[in-house]
Amino acid sequence: MHPEKAPGPEIRISDSEFRRFRDFFYRRTGIAFDESRRTYVDRRLADCIAAAGSRGFSEHFARLMVEPAEMERLISSFTVNETYFYREDYQLRCLTSSLLDRITARKRPGQTIRLWSIPCSTGEEPYSLAIWLLENWPQVDAWEIEIIGSDIDARVLEAAEAGVYSERSLMRLPRPLVERYFTPIGNGRYRIDAELRGSVRFSRVNLIDQDDTARWRNIDVVFCRNVLIYFDEVSRRTAANNLYDSMAPGGFICLGHTESMSRISPLFQVCRFDDAIVYQKPGEGGHG
Amino acid sequence: MPLIRRDPPAPAENDQPGPGDLKSGDADTRRHAIRTLGQCPEAVPVLIDALGRESDAAVIEAIFTALEAIPEAVLPLAALLRSDDAGLRNGAVEALQAMPEAVRPLLPGLLTDGDADVRILAVEVVRCLPSGEAGALLCEVLEHESDPNVCTAAVEVLAEAGTAEAVPTLRRLAARFPSQPMLPFAARIAIERITGSGT
Repeated sequence: MHPEKAPGPEIRISDSEFRRFRDFFYRRTGIAFDESRRTYVDRRLADCIAAAGSRGFSEHFARLMVEPAEMERLISSFTVNETYFYREDYQLRCLTSSLLDRITARKRPGQTIRLWSIPCSTGEEPYSLAIWLLENWPQVDAWEIEIIGSDIDARVLEAAEAGVYSERSLMRLPRPLVERYFTPIGNGRYRIDAELRGSVRFSRVNLIDQDDTARWRNIDVVFCRNVLIYFDEVSRRTAANNLYDSMAPGGFICLGHTESMSRISPLFQVCRFDDAIVYQKPGEGGHG
Repeated sequence: MPLIRRDPPAPAENDQPGPGDLKSGDADTRRHAIRTLGQCPEAVPVLIDALGRESDAAVIEAIFTALEAIPEAVLPLAALLRSDDAGLRNGAVEALQAMPEAVRPLLPGLLTDGDADVRILAVEVVRCLPSGEAGALLCEVLEHESDPNVCTAAVEVLAEAGTAEAVPTLRRLAARFPSQPMLPFAARIAIERITGSGT
């Protein structure tokens, strides 16, 4: 007796197709997949091919070259976009308890403080920064605060601009803050306050593309969490160089809790604060 | 609300550095010039030349980051393994580790170089290869290498990246250097790590 076949056409990725795709994806995004991720890559790729209605790898691969929308969908399916408000909030505490004191010490009141969330996914992190500052930093009204959210994935940026979130995204946010900054719109979904939506500048940026990151300068604090771990050595180092050039002298960078800039690049100094370990670009008062 | 939203400033018209900026007295200008050179083979001699006279850490980092993305830079980077400057030697090792495809053909030669210091650094470069390939290269080193320091370096890398195939070579190594107690000890630790045994 033969086992039953799964319904629908089965899309198989050959070894050479995998290598071809892996090299292409790496060149376009800086994200490297080794053989240990083969099953994950095959499954995601097969899903993309099926969803796009392509007949197989070759046809879909050819479409990726000429159809930017398909490329965007592909990137979206391979990047981890799940996040939530107030994730890794110890770094938010560090921002208001330590980092902003250092930053404002070398600025005049009224000057701009620039914060960059990259990758920002669907906006939870930059909006968290906005809410956290409004709620927890007594000096908030004395400064102009610019929050930028950037991601390589244009689709998540659209969602970030829309500012609609599920209960799951809000699970770590205290209820009074949900009531203050969000409006329920039904089906367990909430839209963030229009004023907050209008206060964050979202932009598409590929972290390893020097031309992309060069548009942003004098950043005081970068939140670049849980992305460098997906990059290979060369891309990580390129990303570190790009961030360095975008940051103001003495600016800080916060990575994910499993990441260490010391293992990536010698450009930054380690700063140990009570709430978090962060990295600092030397210069203008520097780390003391 | 104190939160403001601005568009990024338009790029300055004269933002592109000129060739003279590579020798500017300002480190930020030199770094900017390096980073806008592009990652083409033609940039390699310019980058190597700049590396030779550079003292600023951020500019040196930009140069090595540019070089490691250019496969054609592998030969001049390998030549830096002979540099008298420890910073350049280490920078070259890290850059070569980041370009395994380009460095692979050079490794047999570097691992048998006449200079033991170069062989030690080449062993460190091998660390970037897949474990099976690294293990085979390092076992070859351990079978023929006469310098105990090179062997120690190879054993250290094998302890991290080696597979069971390396164990017989590591056992033979201990017998080859009876007057060097450190090597049998290091080999035993490596075998324990590879096999997961405590003997």
